[in-house]
Amino acid sequence: MIAVIGLVVGVVAGLLLQPTVPVELQPYLPIAVVAALDALFGGLRAMLDGIFDDRVFLTSFLSNVVVAALIVFLGDQLGVGSQLSTAVVVVLGIRIFSNAASIRRHLFRA
Amino acid sequence: MTGPDRHDGTARRALDASMTLLNEVYRRPLDPGYALAAQRRAARGEPPRRVRAVAGLVVLAVVLGLATTAATLALRQPAGSALSARQLLERQIEQRTQEADDLQQQISDLTAEIAQLQSEALGGGSPLLAQNSADAVAAAVVPVTGPGLRVVLTDAPTDDPDTQDPDERVQDVDLQVLVNGLWAAGAEAIAVNGQRLGAMTAIRSAGTAVLVDLVPLSSPYTVDAIGGAPAMQTELARTAAGQHLATLRSTYGIGVQITSQRHLELPGTGQLTLRSAGPPRADDGTAAARAASGSDDVAVSGRRSGKDGV
Repeated sequence: MIAVIGLVVGVVAGLLLQPTVPVELQPYLPIAVVAALDALFGGLRAMLDGIFDDRVFLTSFLSNVVVAALIVFLGDQLGVGSQLSTAVVVVLGIRIFSNAASIRRHLFRA
Repeated sequence: MTGPDRHDGTARRALDASMTLLNEVYRRPLDPGYALAAQRRAARGEPPRRVRAVAGLVVLAVVLGLATTAATLALRQPAGSALSARQLLERQIEQRTQEADDLQQQISDLTAEIAQLQSEALGGGSPLLAQNSADAVAAAVVPVTGPGLRVVLTDAPTDDPDTQDPDERVQDVDLQVLVNGLWAAGAEAIAVNGQRLGAMTAIRSAGTAVLVDLVPLSSPYTVDAIGGAPAMQTELARTAAGQHLATLRSTYGIGVQITSQRHLELPGTGQLTLRSAGPPRADDGTAAARAASGSDDVAVSGRRSGKDGV
């Protein structure tokens, strides 16, 4: 639970401080945000499943974002950046959908 | 499709081993780490947490939240900043255009004043004055009025201006051909969209815009030529310019509209730079006449150099 509180504090601080992202990191932002969404949905589902864990949540969050950005970076270096981005978005999208479906079942029992 | 029994994904792996990747994604959307942690907790009970570990988690959480928010904000921002930059540029363009218009107006006023002072200095009825005003008309310095021909060129109609074939737009070369044709047909003064053509006026293009005397113009292009309208129209149809206009109309769908006008008003450029001067000679009249025809030659070469984008 402490991780969620920390995350919320971070989001509020971000909204208040409006920090700027270095230009070099700009290409990786969309994928990183999608990866963060995936981690968030995973955490929410785990919470509803009753197996939420602060450490796992934060680690998966961090590694998701870093790996997604790394894949895009690698793709850019190899000249297949957009294709790899698509692959990452497809995989993460399927996961988000599955987790969202599971959350829906938990919440609405339907 | 994801029951609790499939969280570990081992149940049916053997049957569809070739689809491991898809199964991984599809059947185990939840990070296996959660299940492992839950197992550990069940086996060993809740481990006591140290303060440092908790602090580390909180810091990590805050940083992640901050970074994600910053990323989201940054992704939303560029459109806004691009928009404001565009508005700023638009304002600057309007402001500068206004300044240029004001300066042009000032030039016109001063030219009128100069003309008046000249006529006062020379006294009425002097042949020099008549010669001077004739030269001023030829050099496109003063505004002129009279009957003439109006040719309107319009870009071919399109749904999407961004993807339109440039050939279907009126280009600088089309205006050059038309203007040269009009001069050849006996036009005495020509203006394109209110830009008077003088000896030093170039018609050229910059990107998709057509520049006449360095002023960007856009479709429709109205070319006003003062002269004998019926004669000019016949003469124009006979020259290469007439064929060019016919090609533009039939092949590229560019609108070409030729009308004769009883009264046209062409502005003067108002700019006259003295480039050479000499003492008046005895055979002043003929020399001045030769100078006037000479300026006409310069006008032709000026337009030709415009064709090369000089």
